[in-house]
Amino acid sequence: MTQPLPVRARASRYRSLGRLLAVRVLGVLAVLLVLSVVIFSLMHLAPGDIVKNLLGNRPASPEAVAAIREQYHLDDPVWLQYLKWLGGFLTGDLGQSIRLQVPVADAIAQRVGITLALCALAFILALAVAVPLGVHSAVRAGGWTDRTANSLAVVGLSAPTFAVGLLLLYVFAYYLRIFPVYGAGSGGLDTLWHLVLPAVTLALGLGAIVVKLTRTAMIRELESDYVTSARARGIPESQVQRIALRNAAIPIVTGASLVLTFLVGGTVLAETTYALPGLGTLLQDSVLFKDIAVVQSLTLLVAVVIAVIALLADLAYLLLDPRIRRGGLPA
Amino acid sequence: MSGVEIAGLTVIGHDGPMVKPIDAAIAPGRTLAIIGESGSGKTLTAKSLVGLLPRGFRAEGTVRIGERTLDLDAAQPAWRAVRGGTVTLLLQDPFTSLSPVHRCGDQIGWTLDAAAGRRLPRAERDRMVAERLAEVKLPEHVARSFPHQLSGGMRQRVAIAAALAADPQLIIADEPTTALDASNQAEILDLLRTVQRARSLCVILISHDLGMVRGRTDDVLVMRHGDVVERGATATVLADPQHPYTRALIEADPTMTISPQPAAVSAPRDEASPLLRATGVDKHFGDRQVLDGVALDIAPGQIAGVVGESGSGKSTFARCIAGLESEDAGSIVFDGVPLAPGRRSRTPEQMQIVFQDPYSSLNPMMSIGAILREALRVAQRPATEVAELLETVGLPAEFARKRPAELSGGQRQRVAIARALAPRPRLLICDESVSALDVSVQAQILALLMRLRDELGIAILFISHDLAVVRMLADTVTVLWNGRVVETGTCAQVLTEPRHEYTALLVAAANRENTAPTLDSPKKD
Amino acid sequence: MTAAIDLLSTPTRRRRRRPSATVIFAFAVLAVAAFAVVFGGVLYPDAMRQDILSGLLPAGSPGHPLGTDELGRDVWAMTVAGAASALIGPVCVAVGSMILGIVLGTHAGYERGWLDVVISRWTDLLLALPVLLAAIVVSGVFGGGYWVTVVLLILLFSPSDIRIVRAGVLEQSARPYIEAARMLSLSRWRVMFRHILPNVSTLVLTNVMLNVAFALVAFSSLSFLGVGVPPGTPDWGRQLTDNRAIMFDNPAAVIVPAVLIILVASAVNLVGDWAGQRLSQVGKAL
Repeated sequence: MTQPLPVRARASRYRSLGRLLAVRVLGVLAVLLVLSVVIFSLMHLAPGDIVKNLLGNRPASPEAVAAIREQYHLDDPVWLQYLKWLGGFLTGDLGQSIRLQVPVADAIAQRVGITLALCALAFILALAVAVPLGVHSAVRAGGWTDRTANSLAVVGLSAPTFAVGLLLLYVFAYYLRIFPVYGAGSGGLDTLWHLVLPAVTLALGLGAIVVKLTRTAMIRELESDYVTSARARGIPESQVQRIALRNAAIPIVTGASLVLTFLVGGTVLAETTYALPGLGTLLQDSVLFKDIAVVQSLTLLVAVVIAVIALLADLAYLLLDPRIRRGGLPA
Repeated sequence: MSGVEIAGLTVIGHDGPMVKPIDAAIAPGRTLAIIGESGSGKTLTAKSLVGLLPRGFRAEGTVRIGERTLDLDAAQPAWRAVRGGTVTLLLQDPFTSLSPVHRCGDQIGWTLDAAAGRRLPRAERDRMVAERLAEVKLPEHVARSFPHQLSGGMRQRVAIAAALAADPQLIIADEPTTALDASNQAEILDLLRTVQRARSLCVILISHDLGMVRGRTDDVLVMRHGDVVERGATATVLADPQHPYTRALIEADPTMTISPQPAAVSAPRDEASPLLRATGVDKHFGDRQVLDGVALDIAPGQIAGVVGESGSGKSTFARCIAGLESEDAGSIVFDGVPLAPGRRSRTPEQMQIVFQDPYSSLNPMMSIGAILREALRVAQRPATEVAELLETVGLPAEFARKRPAELSGGQRQRVAIARALAPRPRLLICDESVSALDVSVQAQILALLMRLRDELGIAILFISHDLAVVRMLADTVTVLWNGRVVETGTCAQVLTEPRHEYTALLVAAANRENTAPTLDSPKKD
Repeated sequence: MTAAIDLLSTPTRRRRRRPSATVIFAFAVLAVAAFAVVFGGVLYPDAMRQDILSGLLPAGSPGHPLGTDELGRDVWAMTVAGAASALIGPVCVAVGSMILGIVLGTHAGYERGWLDVVISRWTDLLLALPVLLAAIVVSGVFGGGYWVTVVLLILLFSPSDIRIVRAGVLEQSARPYIEAARMLSLSRWRVMFRHILPNVSTLVLTNVMLNVAFALVAFSSLSFLGVGVPPGTPDWGRQLTDNRAIMFDNPAAVIVPAVLIILVASAVNLVGDWAGQRLSQVGKAL
């Protein structure tokens, strides 16, 4: 027979949890560190002369070359260059964009708003539609909602963002002339209006993943014994579904990292398709132009953001599943 | 009117009727047991009485509970009005019948809210939850716990409290103790009996375990393939069965054997040269000590039983002997040769294992013949001996062409035994090998094992949680508790004169003895 | 003696159901696509021949059912010829990733130990990278190229295959039939490849199909962004990028390749789902 856990035992439980979290964070930092090394070495591994690449279109006069060597510490040993670069990154000095001739940090700051707005809009749209759709499909598995949702999910997963984007552009912006064709508009509500089509494009792919996740998770929960038990006790069906959803939240949140990786790629594609001045197009243009500093900084930034969100997802998982709180995070 | 009346209960599936029309009546405060093996239709019957049949099944007939009469074919809305307050279902596995992410108090509270038709104010609900917990003899703080923090027995009590919270008149308990340890089983059933009497409930108890049902239920229906083959007062039916199937079930059930008699004690072999001698075996998993100084001797041709509940370490011990796990300390000597931990130091001709779950013991992608041929190849025996192996375990030679998916559980277990016999091992380890089988099949496998020992001279290490089964074939019995050996001796000794109190508990459970007084005294012949 | 209680009964088989119309349609789409892949180059060897004089003809023009782009290339010819480029690469990626997944995943899952730790950390690292991002950056920095992209995508896709195979192998390794194989002292290789792998094969095969669909999407996305396929090769993703400017003059030039990508990828997904369901019935208790 269990008694309420003595206070000492409770405290040790929290301590071991804290330890586990710390280990997780360290692991993430390690991964980021390795990634930063890889990203840094891009500059040196790129074909062609570094200095030429960094000069871009400017004439290769001795003064220019010297200035470049100075600016990028090219005379220092490689590991020192790396540390200086990393140090710069951590203090906010992300280098200079060759193409735009402005500090990278400024270029990013200018565009981050649009990208964030797009992602947020797409995410909210996707969740608001996909989760209820997934739940409904699970509850009436085999019904026509289920089959329709399934077909849409297949298309959503299979359709490359840009293809969907172009098709939507054609239908809604050109043919039906409801939405504007390109650009981000002039701020505020106009921008929002411009973001609708891109957000829908992204939401289709996002939503497909979420619908499949939710449906699979809900079906599994609805087949469990505790649901039968609850129904047998006369608990109303709507509450039973809420109980099941609460249990299903665990696998859904863990699967949410799939959403993240999709979002990154999708954003680049969506912004390019709709010519939005966001981080995606910045990356795209910088890659084509070989604007290394921008590419490096953006990539590392994205990696950091993904890592942070993954950690938050782990934390959420911890909060959602009381069994884990006692035993520790699964490997 | 009170009590329950069932008229023409039928369940129809894809391929036709799964349960043929049943009539029954239960007076308030009385318990009806429905006995049957897998495939008898007992679970379908239970589910049809709460309107929770799985997809593809349809029920017919009516049931009257108290003043209400309900058509078993009614739509869900009609059932929802009745579930909880009139009839409820208690499921088998307490590990899955409660939501893992909600607190126990809340789960009981849901039923209270549903019965009241509204969300009860917190203070009132807490008070009522505490009352329900007290009724099942649980302290109030359990309300704040999550299911995984409680033991199996406690969880089942919470499940009972949750089921009863709406004050139903009929409770259907589907194998409510099968997933629990032997020591808990009696307690739970007695609790159910106490609660039932206090509330004048009607109870339908579904089970496969005759011993459990004896003395604890008033009437019984014996089902087979959807038919009721016998019915009557439990005491009468079990003492004097009329139908051959009932008779066969009683004979096969290890707990029903008249005057539980240990198997004939074979002359104790020469103690100086045991086939297997294990001493001081220790094993840790993390900081949990699973085995602590376990010792065991097995003489050639002897059947040694090892009994223990879940968590006692019996399976780990068997696996250490087999080399599938490596012990941390201790020695295992086989036929005079000390064995280092792990498979490397062992050969297939020394020992083989038959596992518990027949459904995952055979490679689903290989035919029976291929599985056995591979085992024969290891022993350097010709592939033509497949038929002989199958015959030894009582299966026809044509089975070599079949795949495991086409065989029943008992048949698969026989194939597993055949595979284990192929290298002609001197020791056969049976790790809960019959626990997952129906009682009748279980009896056949036990008979097979004894015959193999007599004909082949093979020694058997027989592991089980159920002393009732072990006593049917073991020569010696060793009792494990929390990783330690608490008792060891010949079967007769341990059963008639247990020295340790835990052993006494197991012996009582094996005899399915009641811990609470009952209306009719159990027959003891 | 106990009554002979159905000693030799066998459980009844479940009825087989024919595949639904959608799945049959998906098969048809794939068959047509396969035909285009094999014969496209033969049918339209000079799909990329430019003819400025017939530039920008709309769909339905005589001799050009889908019109032409601004350089006078026939859209229909380009599309058919472009099937090969659009589909061969992704299939190679999926197969390559599967091979890596089987080899590394089986060893990691069965042997455990330091090999498992190394492989697991490696997959964790790669999985933290968004595929498209990494592909864009690496391709862009090092210059693109079709087969370079194929190799790159194999490397980027393999971690998920490795993980899936490893998880499957871990699950099977705990099962009694594998322990029975160990009791028979069978060699590691025999256990891994004769016993475990066939039981993981369902998982692997379904994943291969899904990977073809994802690789198709990734490949065409990369082509769209200008990395991957060099200009001048017929390719659906490339077509979309090249013809974006003329979308409003000859919409077919953009719509047709776009729809085709979606159609083929969906078809692969559907067939993969169906195959997965069917395969998981084999070897299951009825």
